[in-house]
Amino acid sequence: MSDRKDMKRMVETYLGSLETPAGDRVDEKVLPAALTAMHKAKPPMALASHSIWRTIMTSKAGKLTAAAAVAVVVLFAVVDSFTNPVWAIEQAIEAVKEYRAIHITGTIPGRTFESWMRANKSMTQSQDVVARDSNGGIAWVKNGSTYLYDPGPNTVFFENAITQGFSQWLGPEFLETFAKAQGAQVLQGKDPATGRDRVTLLCSLVDVDGPQSWTVVFDVASKLPVSYTCWHNLDRSGEPVCDSTRITYYKDLPDSLFDVHIPGDPAYVEKPLAIAEENIDLLSNPDDGLPTAGLTPQEAAEKIVRTTYQAVIDGDLATLRKLSPLCRNWDDEMLRSILLRTGKSDRIAQIVQIGPAGKTGESSLGALIVMPSVLRRGDNTKIEEKMIVQFRMIEDKSSCVVYGPYGISRVLE
Amino acid sequence: MNWVQMIEDRFLVWRFNRGDPAALCRIYEKYRDSLLKEAAALLNDRAGVEDVLHDVFVEFARSVGRFELRGSLKGYLAICVANRARDLNRMKRRRNAVDLDEVPPRAADGIGPEQAAMSREMVARLDAAMAELPDEQREIVVLHVQSKLPFREIARLREISINTAMSRYRYGLDKLRSILNGELGS
Repeated sequence: MSDRKDMKRMVETYLGSLETPAGDRVDEKVLPAALTAMHKAKPPMALASHSIWRTIMTSKAGKLTAAAAVAVVVLFAVVDSFTNPVWAIEQAIEAVKEYRAIHITGTIPGRTFESWMRANKSMTQSQDVVARDSNGGIAWVKNGSTYLYDPGPNTVFFENAITQGFSQWLGPEFLETFAKAQGAQVLQGKDPATGRDRVTLLCSLVDVDGPQSWTVVFDVASKLPVSYTCWHNLDRSGEPVCDSTRITYYKDLPDSLFDVHIPGDPAYVEKPLAIAEENIDLLSNPDDGLPTAGLTPQEAAEKIVRTTYQAVIDGDLATLRKLSPLCRNWDDEMLRSILLRTGKSDRIAQIVQIGPAGKTGESSLGALIVMPSVLRRGDNTKIEEKMIVQFRMIEDKSSCVVYGPYGISRVLE
Repeated sequence: MNWVQMIEDRFLVWRFNRGDPAALCRIYEKYRDSLLKEAAALLNDRAGVEDVLHDVFVEFARSVGRFELRGSLKGYLAICVANRARDLNRMKRRRNAVDLDEVPPRAADGIGPEQAAMSREMVARLDAAMAELPDEQREIVVLHVQSKLPFREIARLREISINTAMSRYRYGLDKLRSILNGELGS
């Protein structure tokens, strides 16, 4: 044996050769125990979560069931962005503005569904939502949280945000925004089943739920949307994720319709924070976002959200697109209409409070943080909005971008 | 460890302390293989490798909300593994369960590609030689060579001077060499 360097080399070779147990076997032994220990020891602020480790252990089938039930109502959270100026919808606006509740029936892959929705008293956004599928899955909104019951694992997945429903209730505002859809087409024809005149709107967009395309059918006589179909791609190809066959309108519905009682004793599991992986490429431009060097995650998230809202208030579209890259998919008119709300009483006028940071999660690009904000609108109402901030490490430089809203806003006063 | 890794770790710890299970999973996935190797190198009875990792991560998970990271996360976890491995070795010794002749041929069951140049006999001799090292020397050899921790960090984590850490490393290598050269016999 010559010297220490040789000895070190030999030890390196020896250590490198050591056999260790298979990763899967160790994972099964270590991870559930560690996650359970973490759950039991959690600080008070996180105690609202139940058996979180089961989220990770949930079967793929269970996740699919959950996703399918969500798809029933998710679509309208994003539909608040479409229209075509050439289509005269004034009459449709008049037709829908009296209705505070709707009932939708249709199909999602492998099952049928029905969904009930009701607006808040001021008819500005949806307040109550219940959707049930034929496999026993139930999605509902209650007290600012969204729940999803999956009968397979007998588990209720929940998140402390309103991720189902209309961000803008059916009415003038909602339908007016249809007119701003990029590349939207309007087709006129007859319903082959009933012979009634109908108008079909075709549109597509990329937003926080990833790429989507839609057809929405309006009955010309009643001026009401009567059905819609949604795909998770931009060209309406393949099987739709949701195909509604009937929409019925009500002036109101009884409260009891929105009471959900799950029989037995289901587990409650917090839904992990995630974003649409199809959007990762859009978030990966190194020139976008805000550098985070020297800042804590809290400080960085607060700074970028504050700067983004200030850009909204100032009407600074260039900054908005740089900080929130998904906005690049929308043209100026759409951004002014949907995000800036230029000339509207519900435009954001003042930042009241940003933070503290809430839920965290992870995408393939890096960590995610939800940053809640309290904002004052032009009509003096106060709202809470939650923004997802994506952290990333690109070319050895750390930065963050705003991904988009986490659920719909909540009116505080 | 480069600064990018350090930043990621600080972020993971921040999320972990906020109760994010995905952060704990990511920490585990990030360091599992390295810690398993370390445990395998430090334990006299390799059957306890999984137990070491289990105990370390359960204890780490219990610190949620109050864990303070000083230095590197990798170093912290590596020291935890070393401590747990030392405890298990001592328990075994107390039970008089460690007879080097009965120690299973640790690498003989499966010789990895990196070991192509090392004979089974040499592996067995190194197994035995490592087991003969005093705990404090063996740990520093493994932490420095296997876990790539700098002496400065080992010294801080072990609360010893950097000179002591380096001395123990040198003594450890020298003793291994002596054992392998048959000067001390084993």
